[in-house]
Amino acid sequence: MQSFERAEAFLRDVVGTSSENELADALGCVARDLGFDHFALTHHVDIRRAPRTAIRLHNYPAEWVEYYDAHSLGVSDPVHRASHVTSVGFAWSEIPRMIAMTPGDFEILSRGEGKGIGDGFTVPANVPGESNGSCSFANPKGVPIREDDLPLAQLVGAFAFEAARRLWRVRAPAAQAMPKLTDRQRECILWVARGKSDWEISRILGVQHETVVQHLKQARERYGVGKRTMLAVQALFDGSISFNDVLKR
Amino acid sequence: MVLVCQCIARPLHLPALREMFEDRKRVFVDLLKWDVPVLEGRYELDQFDGERAVYLIAADAERGHAASARLLPTSEPHILDTLFPELCAAPPPRGGNVYEITRFCLADRQGAAARLEARNRLVSALVRHALDNGIRTYVGVAEMRWLQQILAFGWRCRPLGLPRPIGGRLLGALAIEIDEETPALLEASGIYSAEPLHPLEILEAA
Repeated sequence: MQSFERAEAFLRDVVGTSSENELADALGCVARDLGFDHFALTHHVDIRRAPRTAIRLHNYPAEWVEYYDAHSLGVSDPVHRASHVTSVGFAWSEIPRMIAMTPGDFEILSRGEGKGIGDGFTVPANVPGESNGSCSFANPKGVPIREDDLPLAQLVGAFAFEAARRLWRVRAPAAQAMPKLTDRQRECILWVARGKSDWEISRILGVQHETVVQHLKQARERYGVGKRTMLAVQALFDGSISFNDVLKR
Repeated sequence: MVLVCQCIARPLHLPALREMFEDRKRVFVDLLKWDVPVLEGRYELDQFDGERAVYLIAADAERGHAASARLLPTSEPHILDTLFPELCAAPPPRGGNVYEITRFCLADRQGAAARLEARNRLVSALVRHALDNGIRTYVGVAEMRWLQQILAFGWRCRPLGLPRPIGGRLLGALAIEIDEETPALLEASGIYSAEPLHPLEILEAA
């Protein structure tokens, strides 16, 4: 079992680093010490659509990465989806208990297995207002995961993701600016997310139908989207409304 | 406005604090299911609430208590050394310029956007309070599910030991170093708010 000093040594290596390669080397090195062949630190996006603003560092087998990107698995990967329903690290063997698995999901996992990515441990990295992300550690099938070292992997994953965020922020400062909604616009979006029509929302809030139409029109303009569904998704994504807000009551 | 309340012998007598204790009960007991004492079925107060605690309270005119934190001097018994010493690999920082952040509370009756704003105001106030009062280090016990957010504030934060599962939650001890650069680090993360701090006594006299 690795001691806490290993985490401290990793932090000394990465804090303030301005080099992706340095971060990747340090992460590969600590992953090995924790008993893992591979690591992948990534935002959960389609990497081909956002190559400059999305974070991705890994030492996964090239063949698996090619297949992964060709099928845009960044957004549908069951490992990524599972990491959206928890905020602490989980072993991949837990995934079927965390999300509803489809036959396609099982196929992805078994294909990964065929390419040397068999079992792993993933630390979710979710920051409000930004794409969800994670830091995973993986092994070929049959190489056991060392349970004792998972608390250390948890720390390493979180600090590594933050180090990567700081590197990338320099690259994409524009991503910081969030559209500001008025309280009334936000309230209307909340009801859109709950499936209400403009007319229904006007009854609920006790305002004119046309007022709701205008609030939502202006809100769509702020996000630069055309459809009400996209509006609700954007507002959820940047934290203007939360799943809890939508689901409560 | 962010209130700073200290040396308060009977905290439940002050409306601003009473409201905070009520929200703490809703957040920590009702929502997060912490096993902590509740007074009169309404207020969450424990043995550390009293004259030695410092409270920072972000409030707003219409809605009252929005966010708050309790600071405990580490020269006296506090949460990390009394309840969770096993979370530290080595003796943690302590002394006159080290305070422990506890009961970081965001009132749950506000929506997500208001909660984030209140969170940013409170974190900024913690930094300014430290700079105004010669506090160099904050320590604290955090649920690891919040770690990524705590790091994303941009301040200098380091772990004090390995996280451990305790009572069904993964807990870890952290230290945050505060210096003159910290406000700029928060600013770069887009969360800094330069709102002034008001000592509670001044407001009551006014």
